[in-house]
Amino acid sequence: MDAKLVNPFVDAFTTVMPQMGFPEPKRVKMGVQNTNAVGLGVSVIVGFTKQIRGNVVYNMSEDTAKFIASTMMMGMPVAEFDAMAQSAISEMSNMLTANAATNLTGMGFEVDISTPSLSIGKDFQVKISDGQYLTVEMELAGHMVELDIAVEQQ
Amino acid sequence: MEKDKVMIVDDSKISCAMLAGSLKKTNFEVCATAKNAAEAVQFYAERKPAVVTMDMNLPDADGIECSRRIRAIDPDAKIVMISAMKDASLVAKGREAGISAFLQKPINTNDLIDTLMILCQSKVGKVAVLRESYAKPFARALQQGLFSLIGVHSEVEVELDERHFLDVSGIAVIIGLTGYPVGRAIVSMEAETMRKFSMIMMDKENIEDVTEEEASESVEESANIIVGRGVSNINDVFKDKEMRITPPGTICGSNIRIASPKLTTFCIVAKTRIGDISMNVGFAEGD
Repeated sequence: MDAKLVNPFVDAFTTVMPQMGFPEPKRVKMGVQNTNAVGLGVSVIVGFTKQIRGNVVYNMSEDTAKFIASTMMMGMPVAEFDAMAQSAISEMSNMLTANAATNLTGMGFEVDISTPSLSIGKDFQVKISDGQYLTVEMELAGHMVELDIAVEQQ
Repeated sequence: MEKDKVMIVDDSKISCAMLAGSLKKTNFEVCATAKNAAEAVQFYAERKPAVVTMDMNLPDADGIECSRRIRAIDPDAKIVMISAMKDASLVAKGREAGISAFLQKPINTNDLIDTLMILCQSKVGKVAVLRESYAKPFARALQQGLFSLIGVHSEVEVELDERHFLDVSGIAVIIGLTGYPVGRAIVSMEAETMRKFSMIMMDKENIEDVTEEEASESVEESANIIVGRGVSNINDVFKDKEMRITPPGTICGSNIRIASPKLTTFCIVAKTRIGDISMNVGFAEGD
C-alpha cells in the first residue's frame, strides 16, 4: 500500500465536497486495515483499473447519506433514503472517484473508473482487497464519512 | 425483444378498446388504462410506462393538465395527445405541458404505431443493443464458467431488470466494467448455495469442511473468472471497446439492497442443482 497513491482519493474528497456546498472536510483518522470493512448503512463501491487498480468505498451511516443528499439537492429535505437520494450519493461517489482519477493521471498514471455500486444495509462485510487497505475517516459538517481505499500499481 | 409499455388515458371504454386493439401484434403492450387524471398519475407512478396516449376530455381535468401532472413526477414522460379537435392553440398549450405528439380521432393505426415507435425508438434500440451485444455474452460466460468451474449444467435466462435494485442475502461480488459501455457486474447467491459451490470447487466431501472465508473466496474468484470471460466475449466481437474489469469488491451479509440508479440492468439467472446463481449486469445510461 503506497501512501502516494492514496492521497489523490483524500485530496478529491477535500476538494470536491466544498464545491458542492459543504464546509471543508477534515481528516480525522487514518489507518492500515487487515480485516474486512463493515457497512455503516450506505456503502458505495467504485472500482478502477488500468495502470492503477483497486476499489474505493465511501462508507457512511444512512443519516449522513441523507444529510449529504439533502445538501447536494440545495437543502431539499430528505426524510427517506429514496431513489433520488440514492442517485445523489451515487453521483457524489462518481464525482469524487473521477476527480481522484484525474489526480492520478496528473501523476502519470492512466486510470479508468467503473460506475458506482451503492449498497444499503447494516453490518455487512465489505472486502475490497486480498491484502491490506487504508481507511481514512473524514469529518464533514459534524458527520463522518469513511473512505476505504485499496490501490495497487500494475 | 422487449415490449414497450403503453398507458392509455381515456374515459371512454370504446376508445380504450379501439386503441388496445390497434396495438395488438405490435411491439407495444398496454400496461394500464386510466379513466381520469387522478388514475393516470397514480398508474404512471406505479407502472412507469414508456409512453402515454392522452385523451383531451377527462372527467376531473383536461388532458393538458393531466400531462402536466405526469411530467411533474417524470420530466421525461413521453405523451401523445389523441383528441377529436386538433388546432394550433391546443398544440401550443400541449407542447408547453410537455406533450410530444398530437393525433386526431379517428386514429389511423399506422400513424399511431409510427408515432409511438419514434417516441420510444431510442430506448427500445438501446435496450435491444445492450441485451444482444453485451448482456448475452455475459450470460454465455456464466453458463460456460459454471460448467468449467464446478461442473454444473444450468438454464440461463436474461431479463431486463426494471427495478433498479437487487436484494442480496448471502454474497454479492461486485466487479466494475470500464471502457465502453461503463458499468458493473454483480454475481450473487444465497449463503447456502455459496457453501455448496465452494465445496464442489474445492473438492471437499462435506459442507462443514468449508470455512466461511474459503466459501466467499471461491465465489469471488469464480465471479472474477466469469465476468472476465464475459468481457473477453465482448472484446472478441468489438475491437475498439477496450472493456476491462476492476478488482472485485465482495459484500457478505443479509438484507442488503444494492441500488443501481441510472443504469440499464439485466438480470441473468442460472438455475442449477445447488441453487440459483445470479449475475446482474448494468450499463450506464445516456452515453
